[in-house]
Amino acid sequence: MKDGRDLTQPLMRRLLRLLRVRVWIAEKLQPTEWQATLLWAALAGFLGAMGALLFKAATEGIHQLLTGSNQGVVESFRMMPWWARLLVPAAGGLMAGLVLLFGRRVAKMQSSTDYMEAIVIGSGHVPLRASIVKSTAALFSIGSGGSIGREGPMVQMAAVLASFIGRWRKFSPPQLRLLVACGAAAGIASAYYAPLAGAFFVAEIILGTIAMESLGPLVAASVSATLTIKILSDAHTLYDVPRFTLGSPWEMGPYVLLGLIMGTLAPWFLRSLRQAETLFVSTRLPLVARLGLGGLMVGALAILVPEVVGNGYSVVLEILNGRIIWMALILVLVCKWLATVASFGSGAPGGVFTPSLFMGASAGYLFGTAVHTLWPTGAADPRAFALVGMGAFLSAASRAPVMAVIMLFEMTLSYDIILPLLLCSVLAYYTAKGIEEKSLYSESLKRKAAEDGMPELPAGRVGDLMKSDPPIIGVSAHFAEIAQTFLSVRVNNLYVVDGERHFVGVVSLHDIKPYLGEPELAELVLARDIVHEDFPRLGPDRSLSEALEAFLGITAERLPVVAADGRLLGSLAKGDLLLALVEKRKKPVA
Amino acid sequence: MNPPTSLIAQPDAVALDLPTESGEAAMRALHARLVGNPAVTNADVLLKELLSRAEMSSVCIAPDVALPHARTPAVKRLVLAVGRSVGPLAFDANHPAVRLVFLIGTPKQMVTEYLQLVAGLSRMLKNETVRNDLLAAKTEADFRAVLARGTQR
Repeated sequence: MKDGRDLTQPLMRRLLRLLRVRVWIAEKLQPTEWQATLLWAALAGFLGAMGALLFKAATEGIHQLLTGSNQGVVESFRMMPWWARLLVPAAGGLMAGLVLLFGRRVAKMQSSTDYMEAIVIGSGHVPLRASIVKSTAALFSIGSGGSIGREGPMVQMAAVLASFIGRWRKFSPPQLRLLVACGAAAGIASAYYAPLAGAFFVAEIILGTIAMESLGPLVAASVSATLTIKILSDAHTLYDVPRFTLGSPWEMGPYVLLGLIMGTLAPWFLRSLRQAETLFVSTRLPLVARLGLGGLMVGALAILVPEVVGNGYSVVLEILNGRIIWMALILVLVCKWLATVASFGSGAPGGVFTPSLFMGASAGYLFGTAVHTLWPTGAADPRAFALVGMGAFLSAASRAPVMAVIMLFEMTLSYDIILPLLLCSVLAYYTAKGIEEKSLYSESLKRKAAEDGMPELPAGRVGDLMKSDPPIIGVSAHFAEIAQTFLSVRVNNLYVVDGERHFVGVVSLHDIKPYLGEPELAELVLARDIVHEDFPRLGPDRSLSEALEAFLGITAERLPVVAADGRLLGSLAKGDLLLALVEKRKKPVA
Repeated sequence: MNPPTSLIAQPDAVALDLPTESGEAAMRALHARLVGNPAVTNADVLLKELLSRAEMSSVCIAPDVALPHARTPAVKRLVLAVGRSVGPLAFDANHPAVRLVFLIGTPKQMVTEYLQLVAGLSRMLKNETVRNDLLAAKTEADFRAVLARGTQR
């Protein structure tokens, strides 16, 4: 059985051997689409943590440059003369403004940098240059003592890195949005050493769902980020607090009241931030001057109360450890509120997540102290009220009670407080919702969605989700060509098309797998001999639920999308479809 | 023995007198043996598809062996007709001396069975003894016996 094709046979055998190895690897080692998603999520988590560490180091560097101190922000300001307390935040504001001003030219004012917008109402594209500009500006506003959190920019950095990987790997919009969400979860986890809260922050606030299709990757990213932080830094429990216990069941009464108070206070806090923003804009001052003015106001407050600078972390630590007296705390609370209003209102880039924790801790401690004075049994330890207040305020401000409870637990590792914390968070949530529909994060999203008309969400048709240019072969392709194509692309089904790109069917790797050791067969068999013409296909106008039905009962990870005239348009991945359906189910922006 | 292998052992038809002038003539002669077979629902369509496939690309797996085949709705199950030409058969331009022809009709949905059958034939025909015995068989019964033995090797 020898003929003139002897020369090509060794090549064919080699090709088929390679394909056999590839099939073996595919079966034994190659990750499924979901496993691959988890791996990418873990990478996003790692990069997010690295970004967060870099940002933290850069902020500390800027702080040292501006204040000449390597201590914490509040400690540095305590040591500075009055004029320096006044001028450093103002200078930081001016520099942040200048960075934003010149950065706009560099970044050519790309679309919004907000990662939440990119996830909720965008395509998952977080512009890199504009984000770097915004984060650099944040370095100055935060490093100079602005009353704003560095956690916001850390999350932004993590999200932009995730978006960058996703775009590099040409992820579909649902996958890209999920990867950016993973980056955001990694950012929160890195900032607060709280992996669970990181995942739930994004799931509850941004995605509005805890479906495993999205929660799984979020958890993978959070865990990866937290591990990276633990390995590369001296990470520890964020708030080292004494052990609190529920002294008496009677304490639940004051806790109920605390929940109602926090639920009332949080909407007012948010309103004050928004009104300050409006007020600053109405001054018609240039951006640089506006940020400088915001910094100057913080500096003026810091002359009297240096505790107003920074995100409030060190003051919260003092409250939780009982190192601050209540009379002084009233002054700090009022001034810090004003300072946060000034920083946020002037447009200083940064977050208000940690300032929210400060508000809750201060108000909770003051309330606990008042109850303790009037009725010691009702509030045995006012510091426990500070801790519960943090969770309740966060729950009311973010409208994410589950995340708030988890975050408080992770940040303090204090389980004994869980009962009042749960109750207070839920009460605060409902109270805040009754007073004000808007949450800490919903307003800008709602505004942006109204401006842009919800451009890409939800994707309602197969055509919106499909990927074009799937790997194809012709009907007359020989076995060798089929084998080569299977080797070059990681698919289990190759689409077979005719000369006019009309879809004919699929060739399955599963079918040819047992015959990879038969070179004679390879010379004989064409794609048309082994094509499955009855393979399900989708029209571009089919709804997502119809697409889901088509996937039921088959093992394929992708289905071809075929036009009415039979032309192959692209393919729809099951993973993309499930993510889009999860996104469709999520709650509307509140 | 799986169905494709048992089909090789007991093909639907055997012809030991295939014409030698062309592949098409040989295919028509073998196809004629399948006409009337209850598994063939449309003999004309089957022939058309066999010829179309052979025209598209060579169906020879060796200088002396051809496997014309077609996946078609014209058959209800796998059908196999085996033939031997009376002399060197000019099956196509590159195969001027074919002696053995295995004509296969496969229902559209039977991709796996089709591949099993073709792979089974390919393995059997690699054996030189089987090929020589097929070429030397005097009667249809002898020829069928060689096929049956060949599948057991």
